[in-house]
Amino acid sequence: MSPEMVSAQQIAKELSEMPPSSAASLQMSVDNYLDVIRGVVDLFANKKEMDTIYVTATISSDAIRRVLDALDIDSSRVYFVDCISHIMMGASSAQQDEHTTLVESPTMLENLMLKVEYLIRRSGSKDKLVVIDSINSLAIHNNNWILSEFLHILVSGLRSRDAYTVIFTVEEHSTPEINNMVSLVCDHGILAGKKEG
Amino acid sequence: MAQKAGDRDRCATGLEGLDTILYGGIPRSNTVLLTGSCGTGKTSLALEFLIHGAIKGENSLFVSVTENSDKLLQNIIPYSFFDRSLIKSGKLVFVDLPILYERLGMTKPDLSMEEIDLLVAAISDLAKELETKRLVIDSITSVCYKLKTSEKIRDFILRLSKALSDLNCTSILVGEVAADSTSYSSFGVEEAIADGIILMANMERRGDLLRTLQVIKMRGTMHSRAKYVLDITPVGVLLVPLLKGGSTG
Repeated sequence: MSPEMVSAQQIAKELSEMPPSSAASLQMSVDNYLDVIRGVVDLFANKKEMDTIYVTATISSDAIRRVLDALDIDSSRVYFVDCISHIMMGASSAQQDEHTTLVESPTMLENLMLKVEYLIRRSGSKDKLVVIDSINSLAIHNNNWILSEFLHILVSGLRSRDAYTVIFTVEEHSTPEINNMVSLVCDHGILAGKKEG
Repeated sequence: MAQKAGDRDRCATGLEGLDTILYGGIPRSNTVLLTGSCGTGKTSLALEFLIHGAIKGENSLFVSVTENSDKLLQNIIPYSFFDRSLIKSGKLVFVDLPILYERLGMTKPDLSMEEIDLLVAAISDLAKELETKRLVIDSITSVCYKLKTSEKIRDFILRLSKALSDLNCTSILVGEVAADSTSYSSFGVEEAIADGIILMANMERRGDLLRTLQVIKMRGTMHSRAKYVLDITPVGVLLVPLLKGGSTG
C-alpha cells in the first residue's frame, strides 16, 4: 500500500488550532514539501493576514520564492532570512531583494536570531509566523549543543513576542537527538510525513 | 522598570538589550568608557544613545574628534528613528573638537596642564550652556594622544568626568584599542577612572566574525557580565546572548 501524504488543508487546520505564541514541530517527508509550504504559508499565514519570517537553511530564498510563484502563493508578506545563499556564493540577487536578509553562514546562529528579531520589529502585522526550514539543515553545520541552546533562546524570545514558531524536521534526515531537541521547545507536534494509507 | 529604594536614577540608553543588561540603564551622571577595536560598532552605539536621549527631550551633545561631523552623519547607518529635526531644534548637537582646539589656540601637538584646564572648561561650559544631559566624545583616545603622559590623561579625564557629573550629564567616552589588546584602553588610565566599561569586540569563531558587547564594570548598578552578539540595524543596535554550545573557551 502506497504511503498517503497529509494534505495542506490538514496542516493549516492543525496550525490554526494553536494559540498565538505557540511553537510547533512539523515533521515532514521530502516528498510533501510543497504541501507543507502551501499549508503553512498560504492556508495558514496568508489567510490570517500575518507576516511570515521564513528562515531558510536548506535551499536559497530565490528557490523558495520560485516554489511559491509556481504554487501561485502570494509572497508579499513573506520575509526571508537566508542562511545559505552567501555560502553558496549565490547571494547577488538576494542582496538586492528587500524581502530577503542574508546571514553569512548557517553557523552564525546568533546573527540568525538577530535578523529574525529585526524583521519582527519591522513587521507591521499583528500576528507573526516564524518558520525554521529546517532543523536538519542547521544540524549539518552546527553541533547539537549549540543548536539546542539556539532553539531554546529563539523560541523563548518568539513566545514573549506572541509569534508563532514552526520548526520543520525532515523525517528521512532526522535523528532521535534532533527530534528530542525540537520536542523540548515545542508544545505541538504535527506529523505531515508519510503514513500508511 | 520600577526603581527600588536606594537605586540611583537611570539614564535609559534606549537600546533595549543594553538597558536589560544594565538593569534599566546607565546610572545617571556616570562616565562610561565604550571601548573596542575598529569596526566593532562603537560610534553607531554611541550615536544611538544620543538620538534616543534627544527624542526623549534630553539635550545631547556629540563631540567628534576624529571625523568631521558632517561626514559622520552621512556615513552613519540610516536609523529609522533618526530625524534631522532633532539637530535643527538643538536637541542633538555635533561639535568638532579640532575647531574647538583652533578657537582655543591649541595648535601644538601636545597640551600643557594649563591647556588641559582650558579644554575641560570649554567642554563643560558648552555642556552647561546647552543643558546637556547626554554627551559622547569620539574618541577620547585621540584626545589622549595630545596629552602624552599618564598623569595628564588621568588629570584630564578626572576633571572632565567631575565637571560633567556635576551637570548631571551621563557621558560616553569612546576608546580605541588594538584588536589584539588585552587592555581596555590605549593608555591604561582611562579604564581605571571611568565609572563603567563597555567592551565591544570582533570575535572569531570557526571563521565567522561576530560583533560582541560585554559590560565589564558599571558603578552604581548590578549588571550582566555575559558576552552578547550585536547587529546594527535600521531599528537600532540589537543584542542576543552569545551561544556557548557547551564550549569551555
